[in-house]
Amino acid sequence: MAERRKYKKRYCKYCEAKVDFMDYKDVGALRFSLSERYKIMPRRLTGNCKRHQDMISTVIKRARAAALVPYTVTRKAVVTAPFENLR
Amino acid sequence: MRNYENLVIVKPTFTAEEIQASVKAIEETITSNGGEIATTDSMGMRKLAYPIDKNERGYFHIIYYSVAPSAITEIERRFRINEDLLRFITIKYDTNREITAWNQLVQKAKKKAATPAKEEATKAEEATKAKEATTEAPVVAE
Repeated sequence: MAERRKYKKRYCKYCEAKVDFMDYKDVGALRFSLSERYKIMPRRLTGNCKRHQDMISTVIKRARAAALVPYTVTRKAVVTAPFENLR
Repeated sequence: MRNYENLVIVKPTFTAEEIQASVKAIEETITSNGGEIATTDSMGMRKLAYPIDKNERGYFHIIYYSVAPSAITEIERRFRINEDLLRFITIKYDTNREITAWNQLVQKAKKKAATPAKEEATKAEEATKAKEATTEAPVVAE
């Protein structure tokens, strides 16, 4: 239950911050919509609106292609602190 | 003319001069196809999120430019032939909102390019300080 309540309050954080454009190079900003295993978090958990979810999904996919964010994290290919070289 | 952004990842096995040479060659392919480079931004050597062709690191370089949309296929074809590159990504900035974002990114990159010497100097100072601290620390511990 406690975990559920974490996502209870549903509002879009990007709408609140009035985000018009997301940059795929800004990896720290993508962290919010990524799970521990670097999957894209669903809208029902983050509370993002449709418009911003569409934006974030394209941006994350670009960052994945650019090797800024891993596609998968498995037991074989563990990424040790992938955000370590952020400035 | 349309605004584009290209991220290229150069092979990490090169020396610094070879990297600069290949980056120059990449920029030339854009200019020779009628592109106007607004600004460039080098993110430097970074660790890749996953290995590409068994390389764990790569030199990231970003080029902001504008070309006629028809020239993009030729530029991408050239990039694909180029064996210095691990990966390249072309991003189109088309709508008004994206174009304003592009202008902001360009200005940000220009600012960054204008004040790299300062940052590096401060970083170098910090590094030397850190070294001194590490050398001093064991003495204190003893």
